[in-house]
Amino acid sequence: MSEEIKVKVEHLTKSFGDLLVLDDISFEVKKGEFLCIVGPTGCGKTTFLNSLCKLYDIDSGSITMNGKPIDLKRDDIAYIFQEYSTMSWLTVEENIRYGLKIKHCGEALMRERVENVMEMVGLTKYRNYYPRQLSASMLQRVVIARAFAVEPQLLLMDEPYGQLDLQLKYHLEDELINLWRKTGTTVIFITHNIEEAVYLSNRILVLTNKPTKVKESIENPLPRPRKVSAPEFVEIRERVTELIKWW
Amino acid sequence: MTMEKKKTVIEVRDVSKTFYNREGDHLVVDHLNFNVYENEFVVLFGPGQCGKTTVLNLIAGLELPTGGEVVVNGEKVVGPSPSRGMVYQTTNLFMWYNVMKNVEFGPCVRGVKKAERRKKAQYYIDLVGLTGFEKHFPVKLSGGMQQRVGIARAYCNEPDIICMDEPFGHLDAQTRYLMEEEVDRISASEKRTVVFVTNNAEEAIYLADRIILLHNCPTSVHREYLVNLPRPRNYVAPEFLELREQITKDMDDTIG
Amino acid sequence: MKVAASIKNFLLSLAGFAAILLIWQLGVSFTSVGNLLPSPWAVAVRFVTMCTNTVGRKYTLPMHLLVSLRRVLIGFGLSAASGIVIGIAMGRSDLIRAIVRPLFELVRPIPGVAWIPMAIVWFGIGETAKIFIIFIGGFVNIVVNTFSGSRQVDENILNAAYMLGANKVQAFFKIVIPSCVPYIFSGLQVGLSTSWMAVLAAEMVSATEGVGWIITAGQQNADMPQILAGIIAIAVTGLALASLMRLLERVLCRWRVRGS
Repeated sequence: MSEEIKVKVEHLTKSFGDLLVLDDISFEVKKGEFLCIVGPTGCGKTTFLNSLCKLYDIDSGSITMNGKPIDLKRDDIAYIFQEYSTMSWLTVEENIRYGLKIKHCGEALMRERVENVMEMVGLTKYRNYYPRQLSASMLQRVVIARAFAVEPQLLLMDEPYGQLDLQLKYHLEDELINLWRKTGTTVIFITHNIEEAVYLSNRILVLTNKPTKVKESIENPLPRPRKVSAPEFVEIRERVTELIKWW
Repeated sequence: MTMEKKKTVIEVRDVSKTFYNREGDHLVVDHLNFNVYENEFVVLFGPGQCGKTTVLNLIAGLELPTGGEVVVNGEKVVGPSPSRGMVYQTTNLFMWYNVMKNVEFGPCVRGVKKAERRKKAQYYIDLVGLTGFEKHFPVKLSGGMQQRVGIARAYCNEPDIICMDEPFGHLDAQTRYLMEEEVDRISASEKRTVVFVTNNAEEAIYLADRIILLHNCPTSVHREYLVNLPRPRNYVAPEFLELREQITKDMDDTIG
Repeated sequence: MKVAASIKNFLLSLAGFAAILLIWQLGVSFTSVGNLLPSPWAVAVRFVTMCTNTVGRKYTLPMHLLVSLRRVLIGFGLSAASGIVIGIAMGRSDLIRAIVRPLFELVRPIPGVAWIPMAIVWFGIGETAKIFIIFIGGFVNIVVNTFSGSRQVDENILNAAYMLGANKVQAFFKIVIPSCVPYIFSGLQVGLSTSWMAVLAAEMVSATEGVGWIITAGQQNADMPQILAGIIAIAVTGLALASLMRLLERVLCRWRVRGS
């Protein structure tokens, strides 16, 4: 991880009618960082994400990437949301290719990247399968492979493992960490799950309830692989829990 | 608590369950044996689709065993009965009734007088913390609140046994913690025999008097754990984490 | 903000109407369309006179409408009552489904108007024939929707009711029926509009009163303002019926509405 700033959010504010949802949010993400964002259930998480992807117009503030205003067309940004948004009429391989096709890179490069990423998540055997023939975990892998294939500069993830079986979730989290370490992608990962945040991140951004502000930024330098029962792990987990506990 | 004092409420005796379909026979439960004692909170714990729900349905009487028998309070289970209440993963609320009418449904169909069942329903609505939402329809409630209605509905029928089938599987992590605390509180104040199914080790240890780890399909008992930690339990206490690690490891062994 | 948006939409829809009327008027004034079509003003004037003076022997336009509405309500009422019962019976009983469904599937593709000659042979040209045609018009859609609704009752929710101690009868009235209601309503909605079409067809064939007759009479006298005024009355009444039905649905199915 370098000290280079990848994404800079300054004074991000957004309201719906009279309801102020995001209140003057500012933070930075360094290149290659794995940033987890956690907040209490019902904080403006979705609004925050949609503002970040420019699905909403923001009221004031700025979001810059590499020093320029964020531009979905120019900047390589990939998203992974909770729903497995695979295209049911395309095979696994075609699904993964799809993102690259939009970027118009050459055939040779495209083939190489697709092969690489399929190998990394163990989908090579399933290249000719259609999504309906795959289990939930395989589908989630397709989505992750598609996102990593474009070698995005920024990967935005919104609780991608929320609905998965726990064993599977742990397994996919480890896979994600491996991919991230190999590719050096900058990741912003939004979750409700504090343990997950402590397990994955380099740094945790804690949000408040609505109107959402940044409450604290917590460095998470624990060595990997991490152990959820390690005292240092528990310490960070408790700190974050204390900051957002509403239940 | 000594063995002699405990009254056996549920006996699962050598139960097997095979589902038959066009692709052939599918053995889901294989010679399963365990007992549940009065007012005990038992968690059936196991990986993914290991047939835990089938076991619960066998106890509830929604499925019948193809071998062996389930005996509840000395009587063989032959079908559903109001003496066994159920809380489901997908809440299965009656969407066309408001909260009050959902909660009083059991007493209502069993012919309890209106004034009496209203009073009873109100008690359980208050108990699960939904006071003020009596007239709301379920669609307007959040997932956690819908699950509270499901719990109140089951308790309001005053069954001997409450079966809970991964009731918090669809909730986000924080709401799940909240609901676990609620169930812990409710089951302390309303003593019942509870059989709770989950694949979440944290949830199992937080709630259970005893955890029964089940094998993956076909299901049988792999190991049992008595949980003696003081309540309310602390998710990050060293003993809690130690047990969690142990159980998670044992479960991985069942998958192989 | 919401009020402003709805006012804006209302004004825009008014603008749409105004544009059509303007094009119509310009066409009549400046092109040969005038030979085929009376001006909107002429139609409006006729509409008003039809409301105050009799059309045909004894009825004004609103009274003709009431005659048609009465026929629709009787025919539609019959088709709703029988359609819902048959639909649910087919959905919930394997025996009834096995017997009735093939017959129903055979009758289903026959357009309602195809029954007109048969109805006249059976019932003559009186009220009964018209009500029969309207009945047929609504019946099919109501059965189809009610049937599919009662097939889609969630078994888990039924089981939940049984677990709480409900017997079959209680489960039927407290679970099956309410969960069919949204489906029944979409059947009723379509059924009502086909009934409204059927009354016109029936009245155009044989009648001495009703809005269908107004149109046919207008055609026989080459009285275009009367035809157009009749059509407008039909459109407005059809819209009013559909809106009423939607209102009823909103009340009965308010448990499905999210938000406040």
